[in-house]
Amino acid sequence: MLKGLRIDVLIEEVRKSFLILLAYPIEIAFWIISPLLWVIPLVFQGRALIGGLTSSSFGKLAGTTEFIPYVLIGAIVSTYMFSAVWSMGNAFRDETYYGTLEHILSSPTPAVYILVGKGIYNSILSTLFVVVQLLICVFIFGLDITLAKILPIMAFLLLLIVGLYGIGFAAAALTMLIKESYGLLHLFEYILFLFSPIRYPVEVNPITRAISIFIPLTYALIALRGLLLGLKFDFWKNSIILLIIDAVIIPLGLFIFYKIEKRTKKTGTLAHY
Amino acid sequence: MSKIAHYLRAINAENMKEWRIEWKYKPDFIRQFLEPFVYLFPYFLYGYALLGGRYSSHLKSITGVDDMVAYTFIGYLIMGFLNTACWAMGSSLRKEQWYGTLEAIFVAPVPRWVYVAGMALHSTCHQGLIMVFQAFLITTVFALVFKTTGIFLVLLIVVLMLMGLYGLGIMVAGFTIGMKQWWVISEALSTLITVVTPIAYPLAVLPIFLQKAALFLPTTYGIIGVRHFLLGEKLAISLPLIIFRLIVILVVWLTVGFALFIFMDRYGRKKGILSLY
Repeated sequence: MLKGLRIDVLIEEVRKSFLILLAYPIEIAFWIISPLLWVIPLVFQGRALIGGLTSSSFGKLAGTTEFIPYVLIGAIVSTYMFSAVWSMGNAFRDETYYGTLEHILSSPTPAVYILVGKGIYNSILSTLFVVVQLLICVFIFGLDITLAKILPIMAFLLLLIVGLYGIGFAAAALTMLIKESYGLLHLFEYILFLFSPIRYPVEVNPITRAISIFIPLTYALIALRGLLLGLKFDFWKNSIILLIIDAVIIPLGLFIFYKIEKRTKKTGTLAHY
Repeated sequence: MSKIAHYLRAINAENMKEWRIEWKYKPDFIRQFLEPFVYLFPYFLYGYALLGGRYSSHLKSITGVDDMVAYTFIGYLIMGFLNTACWAMGSSLRKEQWYGTLEAIFVAPVPRWVYVAGMALHSTCHQGLIMVFQAFLITTVFALVFKTTGIFLVLLIVVLMLMGLYGLGIMVAGFTIGMKQWWVISEALSTLITVVTPIAYPLAVLPIFLQKAALFLPTTYGIIGVRHFLLGEKLAISLPLIIFRLIVILVVWLTVGFALFIFMDRYGRKKGILSLY
């Protein structure tokens, strides 16, 4: 698929994407702060419902009675979810708006390089955002992270990124086909948002618990919360499941992309809005 | 008089045009009816996880209402109108730019705000339909019962709140002329307003500075007023004061919104940035 790997194309795609981002600096501040702001209503809701900062009912489901660190970690990790769905999903749609899609896809560079380049760019960017958010949580909210935990945290983040960007590849391809990608990307977002333990333990409802099994975010969040909050979790089980999901989802995402790219070129609908 | 009729026709034309565009993308049209549930259910599920059930004695002690689902639902339902202001009105001009029709619209013989007003009309109707659907489904599934006495005052409060939000919407639309990335402005404003407005919690649980900030928002008065009538929530502010403050906010927000929009419109044309991305 990536015969004769062209690193220079990937580097140029990453560089171009960063240049575009720097033209809209307000977006950088937004993506760093917003996930943390989205947690605040949950903190207030918790205080209003139970009159404190710990809940025994929550502890039975989540393994920790302290709900604030729980939702904070969910919010930080969800940065990757939003990036995979929105940035990757809109990767080619944005090029349509810029008027550059036809140029890119008619160049002698295989489109998959552009897609992987965008994936790398989004991974780097999201990781930078997550690091800043974690630092905010460490210095302002007193979240405890020891250096010994950093390596396993990075390993789980890598496994998560690979899985989510596999979904992102498929989303990017589907938007070339469907065009009005907004609804489709929302659908991806809804599934990930509702059925993975970002804001609440999925065990609270049998439907969320059943669907969460198929989402990579679930296992990454269990592991990351376990590492960051010192909760019990099965390290190897979560690692292996994430590896299996990644092994399935990346080839599947690329396969969908290839098929759809071929189809849009054949039917001549590439330039349609 | 003929001028007003002329403007009203233009507003309605914009409204109808937007219905036609939305109807072209049917899956997305249907999705918009389902979207509120996706953002509402996490509040419910989070509440269930915290309480181990639906009712909260602590919530009852501070608000007089113990049903977490009913309390959260009313707050969330009213906040649907924030979408009208921040998203529909805010994105109106940016969308035309993407379609390549902004310049054509801006040379039409009506003031620019008429166009944004058309989007406001459309979005209010659309959001209203979504809210009716949402209310029907949630009240049926969760067997919610509301008090119906004071329904006219509920409508009055909602109308005043909505007019205030139109001021915000026209302000956001103005910002997008100069700043282009409208969604960042919309998202930032709606996030901040959502945090400060007592959607799923009473004002009393907010820190003092946020309680004071909340008093400048029409959504705060809208939600506490409506919840008082429909659920019997205890009021920390008297009803006449709620209505008075809503009127003041309406006047201030609409004035500031229009002033900013006119300023940004002139600025955009002077700097020649109208067609820039």
